[in-house]
Amino acid sequence: MQELRHCGLRRRASVASSMVALALLLLAGCKTSDDAAAAATQLTATANSLTSYYTALDSLLSETDQLYEVQGAINPITPYDARTRALVADTKKEIELREKLASALTTLAQEYAKLSGSTAAASAESDAGNLETALAGLNQTRVSMSAGNVNLMKDAVDDIVKSIQERKEREASVAIDKFTTALDNWFKEEEPYYNSIGANYASLTQALAHTLVSKGQVDASSFLNVALSPYGLTAQLSDPALKASIDNVLAAQIDQKATALATAQASASASMEKALAEMASRIHLVAKDKPMAIRTAPVTLADVENWISLVPQIAGTASPAAGSASSSSKSK
Amino acid sequence: MQEPLNQLENTYFTLQGQIDMLSAACQTQDQRNTLSTQYVQARANYWACVNKAFHDDDPQVASLTSQIAAANTALTGDVAQMGDIIKVLADITNVVTIGTQLAAKVIGA
Repeated sequence: MQELRHCGLRRRASVASSMVALALLLLAGCKTSDDAAAAATQLTATANSLTSYYTALDSLLSETDQLYEVQGAINPITPYDARTRALVADTKKEIELREKLASALTTLAQEYAKLSGSTAAASAESDAGNLETALAGLNQTRVSMSAGNVNLMKDAVDDIVKSIQERKEREASVAIDKFTTALDNWFKEEEPYYNSIGANYASLTQALAHTLVSKGQVDASSFLNVALSPYGLTAQLSDPALKASIDNVLAAQIDQKATALATAQASASASMEKALAEMASRIHLVAKDKPMAIRTAPVTLADVENWISLVPQIAGTASPAAGSASSSSKSK
Repeated sequence: MQEPLNQLENTYFTLQGQIDMLSAACQTQDQRNTLSTQYVQARANYWACVNKAFHDDDPQVASLTSQIAAANTALTGDVAQMGDIIKVLADITNVVTIGTQLAAKVIGA
């Protein structure tokens, strides 16, 4: 029988909402409030980085949309057709939904942190209810996911609901442990697709840069600035042989930079996944009432944040120009 | 990454990286039109499958994935040698046609 790898974000929203409730219950019943507080802080940092990671991917997709416009203008053989335009926009919407989900998880984690010293279960459930309402807006997409993960998440939700109803802290702990593991697996499963988006961005910019250089439409002045700027001079290339020689160097630099762009994004994805795994393992300790020795945010988050900080520069996110895919998402 | 998308990505990235050279090699408007049509289709095939899933155990998916892998190997050889443009365009059309059949197998297509 074929394994259907498809389900709706509705289920994820439900899972996330239930995770909120469970996290609050877990905190309310946690025997080691210091560990719970530390776990809450780490969960906040990790979920916040996950949100920013998706925002950065979203920026790359906006840029991709504009790059296809440029490509079509430069080479009539590569028109930006309506179908591809719609498919890029659809992918962008999918990433935006993940961004929203991660943002909701950040809110959850913040609530988690606030309640880490609380013993008022009733208050925790009320807060969980408010967050669940906020998460309800996520019920709107389809996703790809293995049946194994779907079942795991579904089971976690069922356990969460049951644990809350019966106020069984131990079972609740096990359920949130199951959820965070599933969350990590979810990211791990989709990670190659995220990397493909980054690789396409690098490949596309690389192809366009090569085209412009080979057609003699690139001003190499900035390349020569390192030699001339100390003297306040500006390059004025007129020798064809010299220009050809510099173009060869520029072409090599383009290839090198394109590889670096794709590698940096893939590295950030790997670091994000490691951070999610680390977060899951620490929550596992808290859930088992075991001491949590490490109190800082997962160290790999620094790698993720580093890439995220570079995206506005490499993707020109601040550019006022907006293509069709990015425009279509503004109404979200 | 699922192998079907990996192969669709290979086709599209190869064409994208070599589009200038392929354009220059075309000798007639018909050839340029063919190249344009196949490039646009290869790109759409790729985007149709980003973050989508295939049935793991569908024999047709497995067969098409094997076929496109072989066709991608031929395409890589073609663009490396850049011989007869008519043959190159025929190979491009072949790999993209397989890619279109494969993309049609994505869940939800």
